[in-house]
Amino acid sequence: MGSYCLRRILATLPTLLVVVTVCYLMLHATPGGPFDDERKVSAVVLANLQAKYHLDQPMWKQYLYYLNNLLHGDLGASFRYADWSVNELVAKALPVSAAIGGGAIVLSLLIGVLLGSVAALRQNSAVDYLVMLMGNLGHAVPSFVIGPVLILVFAVWLRLLPAGGWDDFAPRYIVLPMALLVFINVATIGRVMRGSLIEVLHSNFIRTARAKGLPTRIIVLRHAMKPALLPVVSLIGPLAISSITSAVVTETVFSLPGLGKLIVNGAANRDYTLVLGLVVLVTVIAVGFNLLVDLAYAALDPKIRY
Amino acid sequence: MPLWTRKSATDARRSANEALLGALVGAGEAALAGRSPWADARARFWRNRAAALSLCILVAVVLLCAVGPLLLPHAFDSADWDAMSLPPSLNNAHYFGTDDSGRDLLVRSLVGGRISLMVGMLATLASATLGIAWGATAGFLGGRADALMMRVVDMMYAVPYLLIAILMVTMLGREFYLVVVTITVFSWMDMARVVRGQTLSLRSREFIEAARALGVPTRRIIFGHVVPNLLGVVAVYTTVTVPGVILTESVLSFLGLGIQEPMTSWGVLIHDGANVMEISPWMLLFPAALLSVTLYCFNYIGDGLRDALDPKDV
Amino acid sequence: MKMLSNSLALLLVMASGGLAMAANVPAGVKLHETQELVRNNGSEPETLDPAIASGVPANNVIRDLFEGLTAIDSAGRVVPGVAESWKQTDPQTWVFKLRKNAKWSNGDGVSADDFVYGMRRLVDPATASKYAATYGVFLHNAKDILEGKKPPVALGVKAVDAYTLEIKTPFPTGFLPDVVSNLQLGPVHKATIDKHGKDWTKPGNLVGNGAFTLKDWQVNSKIVVAKSTNYWDAKNVQLSKLTYLAVEDGNADVKLYESGENDWVYQLPPGTYEKYKQQYPKEIRNTTMLGLRYYSLQNADPVLKDIRVRKALSMVIDRDLLAQRVTADGQVPAYGVIVNGVSGANPTRYEWAGWPMDRRVAEAKKLLADAGLAPGSKLKFAYNTSEYHKKMAIFAASEWKTKLGINLELEAMEFKVLIKKRDDRDFQMARNGWVADYDDATTFLTLVQCDSDQNSQGNCNRKAEALIDEGNKSLDPAKRRTLLTQAAQMIMDDYPMIPLLQYTVPRLVKSYVGGYSSTNALDRYRAKDLYVIKH
Repeated sequence: MGSYCLRRILATLPTLLVVVTVCYLMLHATPGGPFDDERKVSAVVLANLQAKYHLDQPMWKQYLYYLNNLLHGDLGASFRYADWSVNELVAKALPVSAAIGGGAIVLSLLIGVLLGSVAALRQNSAVDYLVMLMGNLGHAVPSFVIGPVLILVFAVWLRLLPAGGWDDFAPRYIVLPMALLVFINVATIGRVMRGSLIEVLHSNFIRTARAKGLPTRIIVLRHAMKPALLPVVSLIGPLAISSITSAVVTETVFSLPGLGKLIVNGAANRDYTLVLGLVVLVTVIAVGFNLLVDLAYAALDPKIRY
Repeated sequence: MPLWTRKSATDARRSANEALLGALVGAGEAALAGRSPWADARARFWRNRAAALSLCILVAVVLLCAVGPLLLPHAFDSADWDAMSLPPSLNNAHYFGTDDSGRDLLVRSLVGGRISLMVGMLATLASATLGIAWGATAGFLGGRADALMMRVVDMMYAVPYLLIAILMVTMLGREFYLVVVTITVFSWMDMARVVRGQTLSLRSREFIEAARALGVPTRRIIFGHVVPNLLGVVAVYTTVTVPGVILTESVLSFLGLGIQEPMTSWGVLIHDGANVMEISPWMLLFPAALLSVTLYCFNYIGDGLRDALDPKDV
Repeated sequence: MKMLSNSLALLLVMASGGLAMAANVPAGVKLHETQELVRNNGSEPETLDPAIASGVPANNVIRDLFEGLTAIDSAGRVVPGVAESWKQTDPQTWVFKLRKNAKWSNGDGVSADDFVYGMRRLVDPATASKYAATYGVFLHNAKDILEGKKPPVALGVKAVDAYTLEIKTPFPTGFLPDVVSNLQLGPVHKATIDKHGKDWTKPGNLVGNGAFTLKDWQVNSKIVVAKSTNYWDAKNVQLSKLTYLAVEDGNADVKLYESGENDWVYQLPPGTYEKYKQQYPKEIRNTTMLGLRYYSLQNADPVLKDIRVRKALSMVIDRDLLAQRVTADGQVPAYGVIVNGVSGANPTRYEWAGWPMDRRVAEAKKLLADAGLAPGSKLKFAYNTSEYHKKMAIFAASEWKTKLGINLELEAMEFKVLIKKRDDRDFQMARNGWVADYDDATTFLTLVQCDSDQNSQGNCNRKAEALIDEGNKSLDPAKRRTLLTQAAQMIMDDYPMIPLLQYTVPRLVKSYVGGYSSTNALDRYRAKDLYVIKH
């Protein structure tokens, strides 16, 4: 297991290299540059800008320059947020997204597993349909509708919570965005949990346990849960990654200074260094989460070996 | 006695051909087991009331979107500047009201439904196919191949979708099928991961070992034995993908990378409606209701399919 | 803003220079105990370095942290800043006399050298400022410096002594006092930049000479500025704290306003003006701005190169309907490139603007027939995705379809892609817009002049160009106005583009926010001029 982890961590480096290279090429192939604006910049000034940011060098030289900085942990300077380095921007935005996205995933997991299990145990009954109805709300109504409705109810009419913004991890700014993300993720987790638990409950070893006379509670919690959680765990990786790094709608609706906003603004403004820096971050997070998930597989299903 | 019996937990999902073969070979057993697994599945599906109802509703919605606009008096792109943002009414045949350019909302909702449903189903089909093939192969092969294939998946997650979308649209164009391709490109990874996880679990099961021992070629094992056993999870997760795909399409259109005006889709209609939901709530309510109903139907059908295809659910 | 003759302007300025400036609270108004406001700035500023700043949000904050030779007050008038008085000593020279008590936030005195340093830094190629050309055009030798032909010290600005600044302009610029209110031409504290380098704009490092200091800066969240005790006019500054938010989404902005966390909406989302006008009659504001919405026509395009086609397309758009019903937020129809209220030239109008629509359509149809463009022809229209532009495009498409039978193929695209298409002249028709940099007609004429960077259409009228040159050289404001207006009419008669509407900024501002004016046509406010009324 230890050597497997080490192998995976080492594999991050070539992954990073490939991703950075591919994104670098894509960014430069996309029409429009960082200095294109409604107000056209004169040719002379454009030349000065490109010289200042080394954009007048041949592409391979810029690439090597970037890689060299990357190896020293320097993600470069941003174009869009010219006074800040990419390191500073990421360091400020990551905790915000991690707090909200991470918390949302934990909550969604708990609630989704609960809802899915209840529905599975009462399969095809009214309880099943109702629970699934509630759970699937996040999949049937788009997030850019649920979000403003939450704001309307809790911030404008009831004045219980702020309509958005961020103040140094103050809980009242975290509640509504987290609720929105939970709505969305619970739908996925709940449905997959339900399907998976139903399937497990029909397997031989459960039938044996039942024949032995074990109470349902023990059967479900001690025997059925582990294998049933497998597909759910497969999902946690991508769900966590997207909740933390791509929660664009949530961040827009609740005015949060998170990673999603940086990525979208970076891509829209062709901010090469910012986008590449975020890509590096997301790759590291993705590899890390997927490694954790794969380790969890092994914990849940003893037959899985790497 | 044939190597595969009905009593073994996992073999029940074999293909209809094998069932027939088995039945023919074991004439005695064929006399007892007179139904094919597929007929069983169908029966189980229809017994699931929510799934059955959902299927009917979905078919109704599809028909409505396909045929409805031809029967209605208004065109979906005719702007009427004297009839801007009207609430629903019966007298001028604007049953859903009009949008802020005076276009009939009912017709636009149905035309938008055509686009959303087509994109949804096509993109889901494509990404599911790609994801299943990728995940099952990776999970089954294991070792180096698995690691490499899953690293590719990790890389796909790392690249910002906005970047891919912009690049693909500007390089390739904005035709309808290209929107489908663009959406597929960043929707197949979830399915791949889920399928790979299931495969990892499945490949150590007895029937796979048996097939390997018999010398069945790898490709046949993957596509003939592993994949059919995944159908449950796949059915559920496919219907989890559909809402994601339809909403991704609306984000693309919002960024100018998808459906062009005057054509529209549910995602675009709902986005426009959400912006003015306190002023002209009907602009949000009707398309959102159509979308929600359709997605709920997909959800229940997915769950129903999973239940139906589960042979142990007698 | 009306143009006054030089001597009259001089008298007025000298007279007002003696009074306490920004005594801006009207008599009898009671102030609230806490003088703090929250204002949405529309998006995160790209920088707080005055030389590099190009966007409106950045300039808003910089206007509080720094002060230039002059400033624009809430009513849109030019008022003294660091300079107490100014005089145009010869056609191409302005002399500014600085006040002796202006201080930087760290206590250092502000001198003319700070301005020289700031302006040289603006045009220095190493700084690579986007606005260097826009404002550099008014400074002698700036063009050569930008191109690297001369060093920055060759710039035509000189500190005659510590409190006297002399600026030489390449051509007579009567409105220079307006231009130098922009902080790109403002002072910069050299010692701070030398000490902190790239980090000099961060909170704790930034030293400015404005009414406020930078207290906190959370990217994509908020910028907090607090009253500066070292500011020369601190006794007339009411606000103790102003928070700038960076909310881009219009709906989120209004929600924050309605829940009490925001006192000043940046801009109302499209389609909501009527509703909020009814809902918050005391808080709705709508100022006509010096800005223009127009559609660029590719003058070299095979279909559009015929002037009759361009004229027909412009004639049939019902701008009144567009303003009153479609956009419905107080915008005013525009028939020329010069907008209402800008100094230096008069708005121009087409003769057919007063005709009934039927007559216009008939005439347009005839023009199209003569040009050989049959109904059923297709034209392409590029725009960047936004509710507003979409709505206007749908309207234009519907007008051209129903009245002329022309099918408009709408191409929505991402912002940068549109910019590139426009810059590369890779379009048939494209959406365009412009907001004035300073209050003079030349900022709009640049949109349609030959060889101008901002001319997306590719049109060129040499005769009009000559008139503009002549006008710029003239010392007589009235003559200049006539020449520029004539040139504008000449260019517009070529139908290079389709002017549509003059900008307004519809927003919600709490009724207890004092100092907001409905005549601020450049929409530039200093926190110095704002206060909180008792509520």
